[in-house]
Amino acid sequence: MATRKKVLLKVIILGDSGVGKTSLMNQYVNKKFSNQYKATIGADFLTKEVMVDDRIVTMQIWDTAGQERFQSLGVAFYRGADCCVLVFDVSAPNTFKSLDSWRDEFLIQASPRDPENFPFVLVGNKVDLDNRAVPQKRGQQWAQSKNNMPYFETSAKEGINVEQAFQTIAKNALAQETEVDIYNEFPDHITINNDTRNVRSDNCSC
Amino acid sequence: MPTTPQLGSPPDEQDKLLDEALGIVKMQAFQMKRCLDKGRLMDGLKHASTLLGELRTSMLSPKSYYELYMAVTDELRHLEIYLVDEFQKGRQVSDLYEMVQYAGSIVPRLYLLITVGLVYIKTKPSLSRDVLKDMVEMCRGVQHPLRGLFLRNYLLQCTRNILPDVADTEGSLESEESSTGGTVQDSIDFVLMNFAEMNKLWVRMQHQGHSRDRERREKERQDLRILVGTNLVRLSQLECIDLEKYIKTVLPSILEQVVSCRDAIAQEYLMECIIQVFPDEFHLSTLHSFLRACAELQPNVNVKNIIIALIDRLAAFTQRTKDEGGIISTDLQLFDIFSDQVALIIMSKPDIPSEDIVALQVSLINLANKCYPDKVHYVDKVLGKTTEIFNKFNLERIGQITPVGKELMKLLKIPVDNYDNVLTLLKLENYGNLLDFLDYDGRKALAMYLINNALENETQIGNPEQVDFMLGLISSLIQDQADQPTETPDPEDFAEEQSLLGRFLHLLVSEDPDEQYLILNTARRHLGAGGNRRIPFTLPPVVFAAYQLAFRYYSVKDQDDKWEKKCQKIFQFCHGTISALTKAELAELPLRLFLQGALAISRIPFENQETVAYEFMSQAFSLYEDEISDSKAQLAAITLIVATLEQIGCFGEENHDPLRTNCALAASKLLKKPDQSRAVGTCSHLFWSGKSVASGGEQIKDEKRVLDCLKKGLKIAANQCMDSMVQVQLFVELLNHYLYFKKKGNQLIEATLVNELVEKIKEELPNLENNEESQQISKHFTNTIDHVKSVASIEEHYKDIAV
Repeated sequence: MATRKKVLLKVIILGDSGVGKTSLMNQYVNKKFSNQYKATIGADFLTKEVMVDDRIVTMQIWDTAGQERFQSLGVAFYRGADCCVLVFDVSAPNTFKSLDSWRDEFLIQASPRDPENFPFVLVGNKVDLDNRAVPQKRGQQWAQSKNNMPYFETSAKEGINVEQAFQTIAKNALAQETEVDIYNEFPDHITINNDTRNVRSDNCSC
Repeated sequence: MPTTPQLGSPPDEQDKLLDEALGIVKMQAFQMKRCLDKGRLMDGLKHASTLLGELRTSMLSPKSYYELYMAVTDELRHLEIYLVDEFQKGRQVSDLYEMVQYAGSIVPRLYLLITVGLVYIKTKPSLSRDVLKDMVEMCRGVQHPLRGLFLRNYLLQCTRNILPDVADTEGSLESEESSTGGTVQDSIDFVLMNFAEMNKLWVRMQHQGHSRDRERREKERQDLRILVGTNLVRLSQLECIDLEKYIKTVLPSILEQVVSCRDAIAQEYLMECIIQVFPDEFHLSTLHSFLRACAELQPNVNVKNIIIALIDRLAAFTQRTKDEGGIISTDLQLFDIFSDQVALIIMSKPDIPSEDIVALQVSLINLANKCYPDKVHYVDKVLGKTTEIFNKFNLERIGQITPVGKELMKLLKIPVDNYDNVLTLLKLENYGNLLDFLDYDGRKALAMYLINNALENETQIGNPEQVDFMLGLISSLIQDQADQPTETPDPEDFAEEQSLLGRFLHLLVSEDPDEQYLILNTARRHLGAGGNRRIPFTLPPVVFAAYQLAFRYYSVKDQDDKWEKKCQKIFQFCHGTISALTKAELAELPLRLFLQGALAISRIPFENQETVAYEFMSQAFSLYEDEISDSKAQLAAITLIVATLEQIGCFGEENHDPLRTNCALAASKLLKKPDQSRAVGTCSHLFWSGKSVASGGEQIKDEKRVLDCLKKGLKIAANQCMDSMVQVQLFVELLNHYLYFKKKGNQLIEATLVNELVEKIKEELPNLENNEESQQISKHFTNTIDHVKSVASIEEHYKDIAV
C-alpha cells in the first residue's frame, strides 16, 4: 500500500565464491573493508535505511554463500525478493561465466510473478586489481542481452561505485515492490471457520 | 519434553502441509498489517502470534520448515518496523513486554519476545547486555530440536547488528560507561552460549526416534547444520575479536564444545566451519591447538577432509600473499607443524584407511610446493614418510585403480607437474622407492607420464648419472618385470609405448661429446636388457645418436687430437649395438642400420675409415645373403645396398670392386625375373655415379658397363618376363634409365637404341588390357615422352630421339 510510510525492500546478492559479495555489502552498509577472507556460509542479511525519491525505505540486503555446499537448507530466502544483484570478479573470468546459471537459478527458485521484467543488477567487482580479465565491454554486452540490466563496475575495497550501484538497486527494487504490492497484499482467500488442522502430533507445549 | 518427534512426512504431503501453513501465514500477516496500519497493536500482535503458531508444527522436514520460517520471519520484519516507530513515538517498553506475554504457546511467545527485545535494544542500546542475556536464556524453553534450532537462529539473525562490538578496556572510565551496553566479551558469551545450546539440540536429534530412521535423520541433521554454523559466522563478524582474543577465549571454547559433544557429524562439520569462517591469519597462529583437537575427534570423523581443507586454504593464502612479501615467514614452520600433526593423527587412528593416509600426504606435498617451492627436501620428506607407512602396512603391488593406488599416483605426479623438470626428481631420494610400491601397470603409467612431461618440456638429460637415474625410474618400459602379465601385450599399444620411449631417448643429450659417449653407453646398458620385443624400438635411436656423435667429433677435430680413435670407438659401439639386433633374429633393421653407418663413416675421414666402412658394408651383405629370404624384401634390400654403395667414395679399388661386383651378381640372382630386371637396371648407376679412391673421388662413368647393365635388364624383360603388363612396365622404367644416362652424356647410349625402345612400347601399350595398372603405365610413358619433348630444344643429347 503506497500510503504506508515505510517500505521494506528485499535484495539478494548472488555470485561465485570469493567475488566479494560480503565485502560489497559491508562497504555499503558499514563503510568498511577488510582484506581478510572469511567464507560466508548460509545466508544472512544486513539492513540499511535509504532515501529513494523522497521515500524512506529499509533495504534488507541478503548476503549469500557462493558455494552450494554451504546452503544445506536450500534457498527459501530468494522468495519475495525485490531485486537480485549478480556479482562477478573482473579478474576471474570463470566467475563471469557463472552469471547465467546464477540468474537462471534465481528465477527458478524465487519464481517471481513476472520473470521477464524482474529487476537484476550486474556488478563487476575488484576493479582496483591490476590483473583485470573481463573487459568492461563484455560485462556491458551481457547486461544488455539480459533485458538491459544496469551494470556497475565497483571496488568494494576502494569504495568505488558501490553507493551508486546500491542506489540503483534500491530504486529498481522499489519500483518492483510497488508493483507487487498491488497483487500481493490481499491473501488468496479468507477462511472463516477456525483452523481445525492437527498442527501437532506430540503434546509438547512448546 | 517431546517423546518421539515425528520429523517430516512424505514429500507430497509435505508440499500440502507447507502450502496450508503458508496460506495461513499470508492471511494472518495481512490482517496483522491491517491492524497495525490502524494502530490496533493488541490485535496486530494477536495475529502475529497466530501466524507464529504455524511454527509449532512437527510435521515438516527441515527444508519445508525453513521455507515456512522464512515466510514467517519476513512478516515479523513488518512488525519490527512498526514497533520501532511506536517506540520513537514514546510507547513504553514495559507495555510491550507485557503484551507479548499473552501469546499462549511458548514458540510464538519467544519469537515475539525476541522481536520486541530487538526493538528494545535498538532504541535503548544501553540495555543490550542484559536483554541479550535474557533472551538467550529464555530460548531454553524450547527443547524440541527442530523448533529450538530455528528459534535460536532467529535470535542470531535479529541480533546481528546489535551485538556490542567494542573492546573491553578494563579499568578505564570509558568501560564504566559502555559496560551498560556491554562489550565484545558479552557478545562472545552470548553467541557461545547460543552455539552450545544449538549444538546440543542438533546432536540430540541423532539419538531420538527409531534406529531404522537413522539414515533419514542424519540427512536431516546435515540439512540443519547451517543453523549451528551460523553461530561461528557471527563470531567471525565481531571485529573486536582480535588474534589474542581468538587464541585465548574464542577458539578454545569452540573446540571444547566440538570435541566434547562426541558426535561425528557435528565434529566434522564444525571443524570445517571454523576453517572457512575465520581468517587465514587466525589459523596460522592456532595450528597446534586446531590440529591437536583433530586428533581428539571421534574415530569415524573423516579427519582427512578437515586437514585437507585447512592445508588447501592456507596454501592458497600463501600464494595470494606471496606478492605482498609473504605472510608465512621462516619463523613459522608451517610444513613441520602439519607434517608432525598429520603423523600424530595417523598414529592416533589405527583404523584410518591407507588411501586417506596417502591423501593426507598429497595435501602435505601441495602445501610444501605452494608455500616452500624451493624446499625440495620437504617433498622428499613426505615421500619418505609415505614409504615408511607403506612398509609398516606391508603394502606392495598397489594397483593404480585401487583407492590407495589412485592417491599414490596423484602423490607421485605432483612433483612431476610442479617442477616440470623430471631432473628435480633426482633430488627426491624416496621417489623411486615409493614408485616401486605400484604394480606393473601403475609403474608403467607413471613412467609414461614422466616421459611425456620430459618431452613436453624438452628436458635434456645431460649426464650419465641422470640417465642412469631416469632410465631406472622408467625401467618398467625398458625391461621385463617380475610382475608383468604373462600374455603378450596388444601390439599397437606396445608399439605406441615403446615409440614414446624412443622419442625420450633423443633427450639424452650432453653438450660435451665425451660425456655424450658415456650417456650412450649407459643407455645401451639399460636398453640392451630390454629383450627381443623392445630393442627394435629402443636401440636404433641410440645408434643414430652415436652416428651424430661421430660427426660431432669430426667437426671439433682441431680441438681434440684423439678424435679419430674416438670415432673408431663409436663405430665399434654401433657395430656391437646393431649386432645385438641381429642376434635378436632381426635382419632388415640391422641391415639398414649398417648401411646408415657405412654412409656416416664414408663422410668422416678418420684413420681406419675404409676398413670400418667395408666391415659395415659386408655385414649388410651377409645379412642380405643369410637372413633375407622374402623376394620383395630382397629387392628392397639390394636396392638400398646399391644406393648406399653408390654414395660411398672411400673405398679403394680392391674393396670397391668386390662390392660392386657382388651387387651386380646379387641383382642378377634374384628369384623373380622382373626383380632381376629392375635390380640390374639399378646397378647401372653404380658404374656411373659411383666413386672410389681409384676414381679420385670422381664419378666412375664406366660407359660400357652401364650399357651392359641396361641391356641385360632389357633382355630379361623382353625375353624372360611372361606377363605383358609387367613387361611394358619394365620397358618404361628402363627407358627412363636410358634417357637419364643419355642426358648425362654416356656416348654408348645411342638414339636408335632409345627410339627402338620407344617404338616397342608404343606397339605394346594398346594391346594391354585397359585397367588401372595399364593406365598408370601409359601415364608414366606419356609423361616421359612429354618431358623429352619439352627439353628437346635445349638438351642436345636428346636431339636424335624421335618423339
